[in-house]
Amino acid sequence: MAPNDTRELADFLSETTDGLRIVGAGRWLDAGNPVRAMHTLRLERFAGVRQYVPEDLTISVGAATTLAELDNVTRPHGQWCPLLSWGDDSGTVGATIATATAGPFAASLGRPRDLVLGLECVDGLGRVINAGGQVVKNVAGFDLTRLMTGAWGSLGVITRVHLRLRARPAADETWVLHGDPAALDAFLRGPHAPLAALQLGSAASTASVASFGAVAVAAGADSVHRRLGLDPSARWLLRLGGNAADVNAAVKQLQQLGDCTQHDANIWTLVREHCAPPASATQWDWSPLARRVKHQFDPRGILNPGLLGERA
Amino acid sequence: MIADLRRIVGAAQVIERPSALLAYESDALPGYRRRPALAVFPGSREETVAVLRRLAADGIPFVARGAGTGLSGGALADDCVLLGLHRLKRVLEIDPAGRTATVEPGVVNATLTRLVAPHGLHYAPDPSSQSACTIGGNVAENAGGPHCLKYGVTMNHVLRATVALPDGEVVTLDRGDTGGYDLLGAFIGSEGCFGVVLDVTLRLTPNPAAIITLLADFTRLGDAAAATSAIVAAGVLPAALELMDHATIDAVERSIYAAGYPADAAAVLLIELDGAAEGLDGEADRVEALCRASGARGIRRATDPAERARLWQGRKKAFGAMGRVSPHLVVQDAVVPRTQLAALLEEIAAIGERQRVRVCNVFHAGDGNLHPNIPYDADDPDEVARVHAAMREIMERCIAAGGTITGEHGVGLDKLPYMEALFTPPTLEAMCSLREVFDPERRANPGKVVPVHACKEWHAAPSARAAGRTST
Repeated sequence: MAPNDTRELADFLSETTDGLRIVGAGRWLDAGNPVRAMHTLRLERFAGVRQYVPEDLTISVGAATTLAELDNVTRPHGQWCPLLSWGDDSGTVGATIATATAGPFAASLGRPRDLVLGLECVDGLGRVINAGGQVVKNVAGFDLTRLMTGAWGSLGVITRVHLRLRARPAADETWVLHGDPAALDAFLRGPHAPLAALQLGSAASTASVASFGAVAVAAGADSVHRRLGLDPSARWLLRLGGNAADVNAAVKQLQQLGDCTQHDANIWTLVREHCAPPASATQWDWSPLARRVKHQFDPRGILNPGLLGERA
Repeated sequence: MIADLRRIVGAAQVIERPSALLAYESDALPGYRRRPALAVFPGSREETVAVLRRLAADGIPFVARGAGTGLSGGALADDCVLLGLHRLKRVLEIDPAGRTATVEPGVVNATLTRLVAPHGLHYAPDPSSQSACTIGGNVAENAGGPHCLKYGVTMNHVLRATVALPDGEVVTLDRGDTGGYDLLGAFIGSEGCFGVVLDVTLRLTPNPAAIITLLADFTRLGDAAAATSAIVAAGVLPAALELMDHATIDAVERSIYAAGYPADAAAVLLIELDGAAEGLDGEADRVEALCRASGARGIRRATDPAERARLWQGRKKAFGAMGRVSPHLVVQDAVVPRTQLAALLEEIAAIGERQRVRVCNVFHAGDGNLHPNIPYDADDPDEVARVHAAMREIMERCIAAGGTITGEHGVGLDKLPYMEALFTPPTLEAMCSLREVFDPERRANPGKVVPVHACKEWHAAPSARAAGRTST
């Protein structure tokens, strides 16, 4: 089943009683649990930019738009969508929001939950819900946007997403920090906030590192170094972004703190593809409130049944 | 029932006398007055839960209230029990290294920042009422403030909350990051309709290494709006970008909050940049150039913290300053795309002229978050009617421009009439479904946020008086 538009999808969902596996680009086929679905609901026709006013730094896209397309559209305007989630750019915006998949830049640029301004979705009753809006600040009504973000499609099928964009930093440098793990702690307590800090291999995390939200890639640390083509002595991968003077000063501070070398920024593509943490839906919190939410928005249990390990 | 409530919280903390309840008739938007049936002020988490359970036993509706600084009539308890939470003001934990604080709902916003200042930290969301408003109220409204342009609103700073559902059940809500629905995200900004905050864990923000505060003045209001749009479009992200028009400047400069704004300006922009010291001057130069290109007449930089504080005081106390203009004030709150600001301000001016009301614009321009305020005399029925007509027209224009009806104040009572213009019936129904999850009996802040007739399965909430309240 591949609906042409939201209306067609809504008509279908309001009538069907069969379980559906929701697919964008088919890159999140399971979240660790098998989906018990009769049909596949393909959303490829919900692709493309719907509205983009670069001067407003907001964009509205169909859910099946890939992250690569989003990047192609915004780049000429010196902007980017900081979603930059784990995985590669062939993933869709809809899936990124549905799974709330963050990425290595979430600590500084925001998580999907912080970047999504609104969305259109169709819930399990066939209701077309227009949550939130397209402006950067909005508290009108109850927050259905947050509810749908990270719900893995189990409450509604996301068809359109409104996102906040950011200006690309004027200066953007990637550095590898070797040796002393305390060096990064000192750096993070300083005035320069990096765009991302990736810990290569396991080491005790300090409070500053944890509160910054640095990402640790601990599992099979050696192979991480190999996959990223980094020397085994590499402890941290840092991305510094901002105005040129700020980044220069940050690099100076980094050099005083420890042994560091500059690296090609393309490494972040590899990081996103190879360092993804496991999916978060395997141990879903089915509290009584969560069950009530599911019952209100998908009482027939037709949306991604079984994906979140719920009882049939 | 009242005897039971007295047993729970102590006789002095239950208010029944109509004259004493007068103080709770309105929030900071004086155009709405509703008398609570009763006011109860628990002194602890346990007492709060016990009160909620007691109310649930008799099916009695209630409205939670913090400091009463809300601007949407959201905390009005029309014939309900008013549940005041200002006594719950313990700071449970401050973790400077982890940059978090856990506080009870009655803690005042500015108090938290004062407490964590020795650690070089602050709590970023800074509503203009921050010297009085409570964290619990901030969470209920998803409050914003000038510095939310760069740092985000309350939503972006809440890590966890312990809440009591309307039936008294206590649950912990988190962000769903570890696999679960984002019920915390749903709760924040639910305007007291989903339950009551018992404690909340907040993210603290390191103080910036350097701050530059600029005041740009303009001879035309539209130029100030154009400068705002130009700064945003250029990709500069100031910590704050505030606009005040001539009427606001005039009110501020005649008040005790006089900040030295140029009295003859059509508008000023208060722009704050912060971050690492290196490169900040360059950013400020860029902002100055953009302002001048949009027609700024003059630009000054605050040279010391005292001057910066003075510039900010004028902005933060602008509402208070308007008290000199007339006895009452309608504070409005809408958001439009930033590229539409100049056009909207022109339309607002035209609407004001047509309705013969004085509109003072003081707002978070960088977010496109308009606050057209109208000082008026509530005892003049003709003026009241014109004020309401003007507000309705302004809100309709904001919706038509692709905006929204509230950026930070909430829907409460004041914005109910616009909800159906902004949201489709199925969307409003979905909001009712979410409300059903937290409050199936509809006893928490009944009749607010979503028009009741928009809910398919709505049942009239019982009145506290009808539930057998007897004066004892």
